[in-house]
Amino acid sequence: MMIKVANHIVSWHEEMTITDLLNKIDDAHPYAVVRINETYVSRPNFDKTTIPDNAEIFLIPMVAGG
Amino acid sequence: MPKYKLKVVKTIDYKRPEIKKGYADQTLHIDISNADIAIKPVEQKTKDIFVGGKGYDLWLLWNAVQADTRWNDPQNAICIASGPLGGTPIYPGSGKSIVTTLSPLTESAMDSNVGGYFGPYLKFSGFDAMQIQGKASRETVIFIDGINQKIQMLDATGLPQTAYELSAVLTDHFADGKPRNISVVSAGPGAKNTLIGCLNFTWYDAKRKHARYKQAGRGGIGTVFADKGLKALVVRWDTVTADTNMPADKTKLKDVAKLHSREIVALDPKQNEMARIGTTHLVTIMNDHDCLPTHNFRYGSHPQAPNLGQEVYRRLFDPGFDGCWMGCTVACSHGIKDFVPLTGPFKGQKVFVDGPEYETVAGCGSNLGIFDPLTVVELNFYCDAYGLDTISVGTGMAFAMECYEMGLINKTHTGGLDLSFGNRLSALELVHQMAAGEGFGQIIGQGIRKMKEKFAGDFGADAAVIADIGMEAKGLEFSEYMTKESLAQQGGYGLALKGPQHDEAWLIFLDMVHNFMPTFEQKAEALHWFPMFRTWFSLCGLCKLPWNDIIPEDNKDTAEPAKVIKHLQWYAEYFSAVTGRTSSPEDLVAMSEVVYNFQRIFNLKMGYGRRMHDTLPYRAVGPVTELEYESRAERYDTQLKEKYQVDIEGKTTAEKAALMRQLREEQYDKLKDAVYERRGWTPDGIPTVETVKRLSIDFEEVLEVLKVNGVQ
Repeated sequence: MMIKVANHIVSWHEEMTITDLLNKIDDAHPYAVVRINETYVSRPNFDKTTIPDNAEIFLIPMVAGG
Repeated sequence: MPKYKLKVVKTIDYKRPEIKKGYADQTLHIDISNADIAIKPVEQKTKDIFVGGKGYDLWLLWNAVQADTRWNDPQNAICIASGPLGGTPIYPGSGKSIVTTLSPLTESAMDSNVGGYFGPYLKFSGFDAMQIQGKASRETVIFIDGINQKIQMLDATGLPQTAYELSAVLTDHFADGKPRNISVVSAGPGAKNTLIGCLNFTWYDAKRKHARYKQAGRGGIGTVFADKGLKALVVRWDTVTADTNMPADKTKLKDVAKLHSREIVALDPKQNEMARIGTTHLVTIMNDHDCLPTHNFRYGSHPQAPNLGQEVYRRLFDPGFDGCWMGCTVACSHGIKDFVPLTGPFKGQKVFVDGPEYETVAGCGSNLGIFDPLTVVELNFYCDAYGLDTISVGTGMAFAMECYEMGLINKTHTGGLDLSFGNRLSALELVHQMAAGEGFGQIIGQGIRKMKEKFAGDFGADAAVIADIGMEAKGLEFSEYMTKESLAQQGGYGLALKGPQHDEAWLIFLDMVHNFMPTFEQKAEALHWFPMFRTWFSLCGLCKLPWNDIIPEDNKDTAEPAKVIKHLQWYAEYFSAVTGRTSSPEDLVAMSEVVYNFQRIFNLKMGYGRRMHDTLPYRAVGPVTELEYESRAERYDTQLKEKYQVDIEGKTTAEKAALMRQLREEQYDKLKDAVYERRGWTPDGIPTVETVKRLSIDFEEVLEVLKVNGVQ
């Protein structure tokens, strides 16, 4: 019942979405993209993407790039 | 016995200078019309003003051509340079070559920044830059042997046509048992038979034991190369270490290089995984943000886009450490081994494909309505092998496909080909036709601007419609980002000096996703700062990916996260350590501002470079058709009501789309005003005399160009 987020262990619950996770952690950066294991998820899908138990989450600080 | 012959027609011996603080301080000039080879010193003033790389290239090109020189005149030059930091093997992304020429598409100065070993090897062989003019009567190979200190021109017969085979043959021929010592530059039959040819620059993959290549893709540089009768350039150099560049302060260089290199190793796996999947992560991210071009930039997303995303290419790429320059920890140059094409001269054979990268996936995939990843791989392979720019090929074919679907052209024009979006076999057939200079592919290979003229003039297509949907500006095809919802990125494309390529400014995330720059002034500031700083990479022989694609973990807490301030400081330390020219981040931007303005004036010299040349096709600005409007009706209706305070009650889609067009075009025009003012340009987009004096480029010939254009 745990997930790993940016090297920290965070408790997990059923149907936890990315939005839920970002509300839960202490990080105000306006993330537009996160990665769940090998899958990239963008902000328009944060509300509808659930996180599986034991997942590793990477918060991608994408601001410029290209 | 080989099937080819290489006959030496000219050899000169030269004394290789010692590299000092990143510079060889001389340039190589070759006129292939008369086999003339000259070596010239670099003046200190040139070094101070133009820094190196693209700056040197542009200065050489400026002096080589006149205002009436055309791309296929012998006077037109192809200039290739590294830069003072180029060839450093311990700092990530330090192996780029920068190429310039007068483009057959834009008729003005074109530049392209490309990986591979050529630029660094050229410098270590004794030349900060090389310039090639003239035209050869026979296919010519130029061999620069930095080890034995000689330069040769060779007549070539019987060499392979495709870059894929040619690179392998020439690497083997000149390697003397050490293929890693060789880098080859070549084009291909597609470059010869179209105006959208690219150059392939090789690097030797020691693990897989064959030459790999990267492309100087944009603007038809490969076409100029082929038109000159050049078959290939070959450079040979020996071992490269941190000492080869003779940095001013090796200890400081090693310290800062270690910081950046180790940070990438630590953070890339947690961020975009470029060392594993290159730039393919962008496909689904762009799709999710409605920025992935589909069906000729009509729309920004498609349900099948994940078929082209990183989850697929992660499994197709052959794992390995794939850096296009030695020691680069970004290592994003991935490829696919044992790929078997279904069509063309390599049909049924196993080949190694370099790529695809994001631009190729979007251009030759989603923008054509093709969502089969293997078709994209095959288009990628043949474009490279034929010497064709995948971006211009993709954007050009997308335009033709939309014209076909709209009934503006039909099978009588396409030679019987069905050009419906998604027709994979037709797309592949067109690429083969481009290489052969035959059929409808020959027409597409002329680029969108000439297609527009032909479709309207010869085929009777509606000129206004094709002006709106033909995605070119300044004559160059758009690279692969949707800009309808980002005014700043419209500026990023429309105001780019060489045409709509994203390497000057990529502001989609800052502007549209994060809304970090809501005012005109903020957008103008971004459209000043980002092109200036991004130009600096090409002055120095660098790749920009390490700057802002792998980001420090504490970057988000800095005052200006988009600038990645920590890395700016590192780059300033890097420049100072190699050149001994103590520099701050502000100094780096100032260096670029000089060259940037010079390039704008170069455009002016060639008859371009004014406000009217910064025009965009409306497809880049807003919805052209009612169908496009209706596909995002809620978004557009809301904007009309809330942003523009328009009462849309009772208005038809056509009326709302027309209103939207008027308002968005006004916004883009206002943006131009704000950017020109910020850059120190006149309202017509020309640098003022005060600006060129401030930048110390107030040479007599520069002031004369300004005067001719009414600025004095």
